[in-house]
Amino acid sequence: MKKWICIICGYIYDEAVGMPDHGIAAGTRFESLPDDWTCPECGSPKESFELYVG
Amino acid sequence: MNTSTATEGRVEIDGRIFNPYSKDFIRSPWATWEKMVLEYPVAWHKDLNMWVVSSHDACAEMLKNNVFTPNYKAWEHAPPEKPEAEKNDFERSLDHGLFATKTQDHLRLRKLAMPAFSKPVMGKIDAKIRDLVTGVFDEIGEPEQFDAFSMIAEKLPVRAIARMVGVPTNKEAFFQEFAVSVIKSTRINLPAKERQAAMQTSLAGFAYFKDLIAQRRAAAHPGDDFVGSLISASEGDDRLGDYDIMAMIQAVIVAGSDTATDLHTYAIQGLLSNPEQYRLLRQRPELMENAIIELLRVGAFGKMPQYRFASEDAEFRGQHIRKGQSILLNLTAAWVDPQKWERPRQLDITRRLDGNLVFGAGAHFCIGTYLVRVQGGLMISELMKRFPNAELVNGNGEVEYDYNHHNARRINRLLVKSNVRSHVHPAQERVIRDATVETSH
Repeated sequence: MKKWICIICGYIYDEAVGMPDHGIAAGTRFESLPDDWTCPECGSPKESFELYVG
Repeated sequence: MNTSTATEGRVEIDGRIFNPYSKDFIRSPWATWEKMVLEYPVAWHKDLNMWVVSSHDACAEMLKNNVFTPNYKAWEHAPPEKPEAEKNDFERSLDHGLFATKTQDHLRLRKLAMPAFSKPVMGKIDAKIRDLVTGVFDEIGEPEQFDAFSMIAEKLPVRAIARMVGVPTNKEAFFQEFAVSVIKSTRINLPAKERQAAMQTSLAGFAYFKDLIAQRRAAAHPGDDFVGSLISASEGDDRLGDYDIMAMIQAVIVAGSDTATDLHTYAIQGLLSNPEQYRLLRQRPELMENAIIELLRVGAFGKMPQYRFASEDAEFRGQHIRKGQSILLNLTAAWVDPQKWERPRQLDITRRLDGNLVFGAGAHFCIGTYLVRVQGGLMISELMKRFPNAELVNGNGEVEYDYNHHNARRINRLLVKSNVRSHVHPAQERVIRDATVETSH
């Protein structure tokens, strides 16, 4: 499981946790999120995310 | 009629509909904002000579549309561009700033700077500024009442930012002047002379940071604080230059000092005006982050919050916006838009805030967002710990406003009744004791 960071706002999407409140189950890979998915914090597109190593 | 629909279909308003400088508006903007949001979501303001965009949906759309840039140089009335050799440190930093760079350069800067601003790093700031928070409350002591503006809001943000960017405490006044002058230098609602004077004042601060960066670069290790993180930041061979770093320092000052002052005052006002919410937050401190966003949303302290400039001619929601025209993004009106929020003026720290615009949206989302949350959270936690039964004096804190503040509905007096034991009448103490027992269950 990987983590992804939004380079605009710093929000971290953790695949292991998902976003249950938004209907995204734990274990959902970042690649599996819809193409029109946007950062829940700042609304930036999926392309604004990068692999997070921290 | 106070409005007219111009022949070309332009929706127009004037100062009789929306006057952000009027005392009545500053004290109570709600009815004006509701009218703007519902009747004039996008309108040309004949007196301000700019567009005003007010509804939640219109503001969200504009924030995510790169045709509308925050780059002050795109303004039709911006000062003419100087040759590179004649530019001072303020102007060079502005050129390298997040608001001025083109899309690709902006992404590069955000990417390089993000490690210094990310949530995990900002979480560590907690330990670095905690003593400043307790120090401010130690200075308050246990008086019968105190002014939350002068004792907390005016002191804490500037001290925290100074600490974060490596300015010693004895330079607090110097730093405060720098912070305010940086912000005022590009406020288009100020006269050109005032902007120019503010820019000149800011130069001493830029010189200070230029020296600080040079010292850190010369050291064996640049340090693991905020400035050190920016100096170390790299992506392959790419690194931030001196003016990139000064622009980032400028960004964090804008995000974290003057604006954060209002955050503190309005957060205290919001919580103490809603004792049940104050009690709920004491019971459920895990709601803190949500509470801070909700307090900002409901407090809505902006007077003229943010600007955009049209980088080309554009059609926007049925209105023609000409290249170079300025647009007031009336975000604080959008924060209480009844079309987006149920009971918009009601503080509810459990509210789902999906899609809120409290820190903006899109490419220019507030870079200092986590810093603000950490700092605000520490302050509120300490307030709850020291003064769990605090109230506003006479129910409204005998609030006073700075009607001349450049962009905020600045509260500059908010009196808080501490209700600490030593000042409580025995009869009142029984009430507090009962409330405390109730809270603990």
